[in-house]
Amino acid sequence: MRVSMKWLKEYLDINISAEELAEVLTRGGIEVEGVEYLNKGFENVFIGELIELQSHPDAEKLQVCVADIGREQLTIVTGAQNIRLGDKVPVAVPGAVLPGGKEIKPVKLRGIESNGMLCSAKELQLEGVGLDRSKDGILILPPEAPVGTPLEKYLGLNDQVLELELYPNRPDCLAMVNVAREVGSLLGKKPVLPEWAQGEVPIWPEEIKQKVEIENPELSWRYSALLVEDVVIKPSPLWMQNRLRAAGIRPINNIVDITNYCMLEMGQPLHAFDRDKLKGAIRVRLAQEGEKIITLDGMERNLDPDMLVIADDNGPVAIAGVMGGLETEVTHQTTRVLFESAHFLGASIRRTSRKLGLRSESSSRFEKGVNPYWTVSTLGRVAELLLELEAGVPMTFTEKVAYLPPEVAIELKMANVNNVLGVDYSEKDVEQVLEALNFAYRKQPGGIYLVNIPTYRQDLRIEEDLIEEVARIQGYDRIPTTLPSGSQTQGRRTPEQAFRLHLRKLFIQAGMDEVLTYSFVKKEQDDLWGTGQSIPLLNPLREELAIMRTSLIPGLLEIASRNTARRNTDLLLFEIGNVYWPKELPLKELPREVTKIAGLVQGQSKRHWLAPQVKYDFFYLKGILDEVARASGMEFTYRRLTSEKYQKLLHPGRSAEIVLQGEVIGFIGEIYPQLDEEWGLERPVLFELDFAALFRNCNLTIRAKSYPRFPAIQRDLAVVVPDGVAAENIKKRVKELGGELLKEVEIFDVYKGESIPKGHKSLALSMRYQSEERTLTDEEVNSIYTAILQAIQQEFGAEWRK
Amino acid sequence: MREEIQRIKQETLKQLEMLKSPAELQELKVKVMGKKGSLTALLKQMGSLSPEERPKMGQIINEVRNQLEKAWELKEKELEKEALAKRLEEERIDISLPGFYRPRGHRHPLTKVIEEIEDIFLGMGFTIAEGPEIETDYYNFEALNLPKDHPARDMQDTFFITEDILLRTQTSPVQVRTMEKLKPQLPVKIIAPGKVFRHDDDATHSPMFHQVEGLMVDKGVRMSDLKGILLYFSRQMFGENREIRLRPSFFPFTEPSAEVDVSCILCGGEGCRLCKGTGWIEILGSGMVHPRVLEAGGYNPKEVTGFAFGMGVERIAMLKYGIEDMRLLFDNDIRFLEQF
Repeated sequence: MRVSMKWLKEYLDINISAEELAEVLTRGGIEVEGVEYLNKGFENVFIGELIELQSHPDAEKLQVCVADIGREQLTIVTGAQNIRLGDKVPVAVPGAVLPGGKEIKPVKLRGIESNGMLCSAKELQLEGVGLDRSKDGILILPPEAPVGTPLEKYLGLNDQVLELELYPNRPDCLAMVNVAREVGSLLGKKPVLPEWAQGEVPIWPEEIKQKVEIENPELSWRYSALLVEDVVIKPSPLWMQNRLRAAGIRPINNIVDITNYCMLEMGQPLHAFDRDKLKGAIRVRLAQEGEKIITLDGMERNLDPDMLVIADDNGPVAIAGVMGGLETEVTHQTTRVLFESAHFLGASIRRTSRKLGLRSESSSRFEKGVNPYWTVSTLGRVAELLLELEAGVPMTFTEKVAYLPPEVAIELKMANVNNVLGVDYSEKDVEQVLEALNFAYRKQPGGIYLVNIPTYRQDLRIEEDLIEEVARIQGYDRIPTTLPSGSQTQGRRTPEQAFRLHLRKLFIQAGMDEVLTYSFVKKEQDDLWGTGQSIPLLNPLREELAIMRTSLIPGLLEIASRNTARRNTDLLLFEIGNVYWPKELPLKELPREVTKIAGLVQGQSKRHWLAPQVKYDFFYLKGILDEVARASGMEFTYRRLTSEKYQKLLHPGRSAEIVLQGEVIGFIGEIYPQLDEEWGLERPVLFELDFAALFRNCNLTIRAKSYPRFPAIQRDLAVVVPDGVAAENIKKRVKELGGELLKEVEIFDVYKGESIPKGHKSLALSMRYQSEERTLTDEEVNSIYTAILQAIQQEFGAEWRK
Repeated sequence: MREEIQRIKQETLKQLEMLKSPAELQELKVKVMGKKGSLTALLKQMGSLSPEERPKMGQIINEVRNQLEKAWELKEKELEKEALAKRLEEERIDISLPGFYRPRGHRHPLTKVIEEIEDIFLGMGFTIAEGPEIETDYYNFEALNLPKDHPARDMQDTFFITEDILLRTQTSPVQVRTMEKLKPQLPVKIIAPGKVFRHDDDATHSPMFHQVEGLMVDKGVRMSDLKGILLYFSRQMFGENREIRLRPSFFPFTEPSAEVDVSCILCGGEGCRLCKGTGWIEILGSGMVHPRVLEAGGYNPKEVTGFAFGMGVERIAMLKYGIEDMRLLFDNDIRFLEQF
């Protein structure tokens, strides 16, 4: 809602700046988005009369004119062709900076000094002003425009507009008279409002010939109409045009302008029909299957049976509350007009407007809720303006009332005000608010007020609504700061929440960067990596964000790809997030939301003068996962992929299923050759793990053990084995053979090369022997060592490498 | 003999002066005092002296010996010192070279902010509640006093999956879900962080973003308590000197409702570019839980009251870390992420 300060001051005696008022309103709960100075750029623009006009002697396309701007006569060279001698035009004098930023200076044009500029409507950013000829160039003002007057004064631009950002609970402030009431309440001033603004109903003779039927009273409670004769269509007066423009509405003609003007004043949308084009009774009804209407904007609209229309005997003449029909439009030939002032149910208008993709000032007001009590008094204002503007003669009146909601009274208890707000207000404080709001009330014993709610405040329905009114008019600053006095509670994370935090911390400690990606992804990619059963959105933003992900991998690939394209090629990324698995499609109940942890590594560690670079490969990632498992009291095992799906996505020789307690809980692997190229990546290694499975198996309890008091003996063993032998199996067997005394076995070197036969690899193991009871002897350890060596020689075809 | 002793002494001291290494020192020592050393040799000749002379001579030799020992000791220390100084000089490194470190990983800034918010409220006795990201129309709207076709639904553009299933547009549905689960227990004191979705994508809106919801329901909860809790939170989050102010606002699920501003974290309230000269920055929406919402959660609004609030995590992260473009948060460029 755009509120003109000048217009507001007509109802309210206030003397504060637009900015100050904006602050008062914002602090009072009516947010002001901005203050617009309508005269910006008009400071040096005056109305001038062209008293001389001739061709430029040295330029075919230019004209030289003398403009009389009252205090002086200026010679101006112009390229305009639409001007005539005696025209009244806007003249920008040197020093002017037009709304578009153009600066006016004296210039010489083909030898003639030009001391200003004649302005076009476009240069002044004005629309719908001036004579018809204006569209071809310079803005031509009506002949009665007073010479020498600043243009801003003539057009009423010495005004500021507050742009109100209204919440859905305050549709009343879509009416100037209610804005005046609101400002009055906040400033403690009483607005002076005419009778029609109080909801007073004028008395007219009833029109008998015009029948009105409301067929759907649940969607339209009231339909009132004013019949007007001897209509003269002409432009509305300048003051009305100026106010409409300030409010952001383009002036059309006196009749249309009156409907818009009254709507701005009273919040009641109106529509004007050419009465001679209406046939028979007016029916407010739902559209019938197959009905169509051409609306005022010239578009043919197909109507659905749940859309409310205004129809005459021939069919729909308007889409109720949204837009009128072209056929019954008021034109220059119109002499009899029917002004409609009706109530339509917001929800219905909202649905219709959405379905048609058609919004209007009217529909947006009906959607938010229009006061059904004011239909007739608004027509009273229409009648007043018609006479004032000599635009027509109000003759008769007709209406149908199907329902009027009962007037509301709310009990407001002092005790509740103080208890809910945590304040200590006196009865005087509360009464002060009710009076500022101009609400009638009756005081009852026990600190109870019975408050009558005016019909325009449809947002006030329960006691809490009134408590807010008290708080807001007294000012939220009066509410003190306290702390809850109830019983003490302990805040802590659930074990699951704590475990999620724990995992995140571990991955970060391992050097991985956390990323956050959208939950919706492109279907093709998700089908590839996920379950293939994804939930589509009905209204996705775009195809790339069309379905709810079933895997985190595509999001990670996307991020890796973007980073790699920007030459961030060394990546250690992970994400913890949900994937969405439907139980059935289309969705009948909420899907399972499954938390996954996934990651992607690529490239290598940074170069450093002191240390060699480490590749971010399968083993780098596996090491991180194993450490995460260890730090969570678990141990992962790895086995070759069994899933056919992943065999096509991951390098078959460089991938594994991750197994925990016999259950496959995820995978790790290098991306399948060539798939990486599609993303512009280079051999990234991926993993995905199931959070719930990790949580089920984790053990974060720490039981500390003391360290042995007796020295350990360290032995290394190097063997050459065929490539096919898994290092893990040798390690396991060594551990078994070593028995209790062998505390630790690690593979510390893997070597293939010159001195090793083809198809073989050399493994070096380090072993730590230790007893908790005594110091071990070399002989003891040697005999175990020999036994181990012999066994693995036999079992694995291993050869001892000295 | 006496001259001989003095001569050895003088000569040795002289040679000692010129010595350069511990090895030379040892060599000299052997030459003078070793088994075949010059001084030792003199001692051996003592047998040829008269019994009167013998003790005198012995004393002289011993004196010389002690003197030389001392001189040696001194020289030894001096040489050690020199050697150490030399070693220190040789071992000098270029301390300007970069040190070695293992790069740490980084929390996403949004996670970082969420964890921080969680910790502040955990400290005030709140627990953390969670709810589904794919929600029913009932929990996301209807139970929050937003019936179908209510104009307030326009405040949030919604992604739909079916007519009744949608991506939650706010974390507020967790309010009713939590109350249903806990009723009739009191107090209810939760925060609910999580992802939310709105059909919007431009420089200042992301189709997915994060909110943290807060809810407290108990007997006698007051709006002043809401103010107190939020003031404490704002100071923990943005610094001890912060103030807050409440402005009347509208949310369908609270009454009274309030927008909460914090005194500008950049200028402290003087007015600057960040706060557009107002000295205040809007950080969250809040209010007293609407009676209908309490009812939907299974509590009697005549017996209990509550407050609720909701904040945008992206906005807080941007304010806290001085991030000017929200898109950076979802771009996931590691050069950006590595700052956190």
